[in-house]
Amino acid sequence: MRSQSIYKVPQGKLLKISIEYDEKDNVIRDIRITGDFFAYPEETIELMETKLRNTLIERAQLQEKIRSIITEYHIQFIGVDPEGLTQAILMCKP
Amino acid sequence: MKEQWRLLQTGFNTAFSNMAVDRAILVENSEGKVPPTVRFYGWIPPAISIGYFQSVAEEIDVNACEKLGVDYVRRITGGGAVFHDKELTYSIVIPEAHPAIPKNILKSYGRICNALLQGLAKLGIKGTYAPINDILVDGKKISGNAQTRKANTVLQHGTILLDVDVDTMFSLLKVPNEKIKDKLIQDVKQRVTSIQHILGKKIGFKDVAEAIKLGFEEEFDVELIQGVLTKEEKTLATQFEKECFSTTHWNHRR
Repeated sequence: MRSQSIYKVPQGKLLKISIEYDEKDNVIRDIRITGDFFAYPEETIELMETKLRNTLIERAQLQEKIRSIITEYHIQFIGVDPEGLTQAILMCKP
Repeated sequence: MKEQWRLLQTGFNTAFSNMAVDRAILVENSEGKVPPTVRFYGWIPPAISIGYFQSVAEEIDVNACEKLGVDYVRRITGGGAVFHDKELTYSIVIPEAHPAIPKNILKSYGRICNALLQGLAKLGIKGTYAPINDILVDGKKISGNAQTRKANTVLQHGTILLDVDVDTMFSLLKVPNEKIKDKLIQDVKQRVTSIQHILGKKIGFKDVAEAIKLGFEEEFDVELIQGVLTKEEKTLATQFEKECFSTTHWNHRR
């Protein structure tokens, strides 16, 4: 199933998430993270999108996965944080 | 003697050329071939630039752009969509290790925005830096800025609005909810300002550029020496324009 969300990160930027997920097992099949935020280095956003595939759409697991990707690839977000990104992904589900 | 940086006044060019030149300077500076550089430029035809992470489909009414002869381009910097029309655009390229540039990205936005604030003060305009990346006058936005760091080099570019046409802007940009579009336009009219609006008179591109130049010189205690793009920068810029910024592959990649 395809779904989208728009979420303004508190004190931050606007996140637009588009996901394709499996309703049965509740995991992300594909995700695109767009918006007016900043991430350094920029190209790591594509890595983030790839690595988030097959992640369970559940708050604790999403946050942990996002944090681990940030640490592993030395990503610096400005205007968005793991909590905000997690919230935006969760909002894709009805 | 004061440290000397290069000043480039590259005039008015297309969106694709403008973004290609900023990237070319970044590459050449990262290889130590050109000094720290401050550049002023404008856009002909008017254009929309979107942030690296934005989607053309989500942000831009492509048909309206075609109808009005407005180009669009994806930046290598993050941040939001900007309609570039009556404005002064600046860029600064400088090594990340330069003592003038705070290691902390947010702090470095502040430092560079201080140069703009000092420049605006020369015009009699008192602004404030509003993190992350805006400059406000009387609580309204007059300048938006975006920074990237690649190959240990900082590129920050941004706009200073000379005048603003919010109605045209909104005919080109998509809004999340069409139903509240009118209200959104009213809101933006309340939240955006320009040099012309503040001073009640037109100030030319060149005069604003001169003021901002002085702002950079004061903030960084340097002398900006008028220069030109090197042959290598021109070659690189032509290549980036052709292979990247003017291509559907780049502009529609997200």
